[in-house]
Amino acid sequence: MTIYIFALILILLALLGTPLFAVILAVAMLGFYYLDVSLSVIAIEVYRIADTPVLLALPLFTFAGYILAESRTSHRLVRLTRACLCWMPGGLAIVAFIACAFFTAFTGASGVTIVALGALLYPALIEAGYRDKFSLGLVTTSGSLGLLFPPSLPLILYAIIAQQMNVGAKVAISDLFLAGLLPGLLMVVLLSFWSLWENRQNPVERPLFSVQEAKSALREAVWEIPLPFFVLGGIYGGFFAVSEAAAATAMYVLVVEVFIYKEISLSKLPAIMRDSMVMVGGILLILGVSLASTNFLIDAEVPIRLFDVIQAHVSSKIVFLILLNILLLILGAILDIFSAIVIMVPIILPVAINYGVDPVHLGIIFLANMQIGYITPPVGMNLFIASYRFDKPIIELYQAAIPFMIVLLAAVLIITYVPALSLVFLQR
Amino acid sequence: MSNNQHKPFTERVRSVLYRIEDGILVGLLLLMIGLAVTQIFLRNLFDSGIVWSDILVRILVLWVGLVGAMVASRQGNHINIDILDRYLPERAKPVVGIVVQLFTALICTVAAYFSLLFVQVEYADGGTLFAQVPAWVCESIIPFAFAVIAVRYFMLSFENFKNIFALRP
Repeated sequence: MTIYIFALILILLALLGTPLFAVILAVAMLGFYYLDVSLSVIAIEVYRIADTPVLLALPLFTFAGYILAESRTSHRLVRLTRACLCWMPGGLAIVAFIACAFFTAFTGASGVTIVALGALLYPALIEAGYRDKFSLGLVTTSGSLGLLFPPSLPLILYAIIAQQMNVGAKVAISDLFLAGLLPGLLMVVLLSFWSLWENRQNPVERPLFSVQEAKSALREAVWEIPLPFFVLGGIYGGFFAVSEAAAATAMYVLVVEVFIYKEISLSKLPAIMRDSMVMVGGILLILGVSLASTNFLIDAEVPIRLFDVIQAHVSSKIVFLILLNILLLILGAILDIFSAIVIMVPIILPVAINYGVDPVHLGIIFLANMQIGYITPPVGMNLFIASYRFDKPIIELYQAAIPFMIVLLAAVLIITYVPALSLVFLQR
Repeated sequence: MSNNQHKPFTERVRSVLYRIEDGILVGLLLLMIGLAVTQIFLRNLFDSGIVWSDILVRILVLWVGLVGAMVASRQGNHINIDILDRYLPERAKPVVGIVVQLFTALICTVAAYFSLLFVQVEYADGGTLFAQVPAWVCESIIPFAFAVIAVRYFMLSFENFKNIFALRP
């Protein structure tokens, strides 16, 4: 009985805005107290952060992302994609999707994409003849498009948590990077087709392909074009481990933006470094304390009991996956993606494995759902950021985002029920 | 008069402390990038490496994370859910804030205390991690960070207390 009272109090505190790390820490403390384990174990669990070599990738990729977000990379990226793709039907919309996906993969879906890229793309879309609501929905949606592409932080965090769980099957970061490629591409393609269909009677501007503009855009972005190849080629060519690729990326981006493009002055650099590490600190603290609470959950056999309860009502894998999708969509709308991963993966992963879901596939399902959560009314984060950035009432954004949400839902269903899409590049 | 002079002084102390903290955080990050990149060069070009570098880099991740979390606590910028918060009446907000902040501070105090016990045990054990650096030194950041976060959340709740009384006519 007292357990339920405590649980209720903690949930209420969490909903009232208590930092999630404190809530999780309280859960772990209560748990260990009941198990008669000294609370010093919490320090041991937090210290496990230092026992996880791949974790190095997290601060380094975050830092690289912050640097890219602070420089004029967004301008160069839009210009380059535009120069290469604007001749296509539906050109500018597709340009927007692709540019945003790239940018989000490197900077994380923290709203930077909407602020940096959306601000360039939204007026450009309007100017090219796209309707206001469509354009608004597009930039809002694109703010989290690209979560499934390497080296996105949620992919890394999911892999790290899954590794800590020791579920049998190996869950390498590099596997998740590969697994996200086709599902991410599917989202971009479906969204592109939808914008073609949506604008079929809408005469939008279609400039001719200009070799000169393409050349000059290429030349301008020449230092940044190698980045994706750096990450993917380095890792899969066997030159780098993932954390080494992160170190190389961080160093490369630092040198390029500060010393070659000279867009970030040395005096601004410490503040950017601090801000990026504040974000990392928030994530790592939650990760550290959740290592403790997860340990307690496993000690108390919570995942096994949960599986038994669910198994009693749900026997088929398909039905389980449908329920999982619904749960994740709701979670994605209320929890930020990092806490959702850290809190929910340790509970869901063992259950999903018992239903025969591949852990890598589960990761892709998880993040694909979370991505929709960003634009789910009424509390999806992208809606608020776009409302603030473009000075539009939030209701207008709800309406603008819903068609895009439906397209992404279709993508999520395909991703969920066609595991091969995620697993085809892995030797499984 | 003395009250007026007093305030800028605490502000000055605070800004100096903030700068030191920022400096440490930036220094740790630079060291981390530097070591990681050096390691890549050594491994690929000379097929060698600094033996303790990998361990040190991992410990730097912990330190960067916890110092980053300390900085995040200055304004209470930790990841949270703010659904209900948006719909609370204006008058209730400081009260809810106090509850939330005191709770956080309390939990962190307990965590700091028990982490300190852990570090003491490690100190008595006297194990070393790498290059003669004792393990307890590397671990000491855990109680320290929790203590700093606790103090900051106590201070945040104190600010809220003052706001409530300032609102009263």
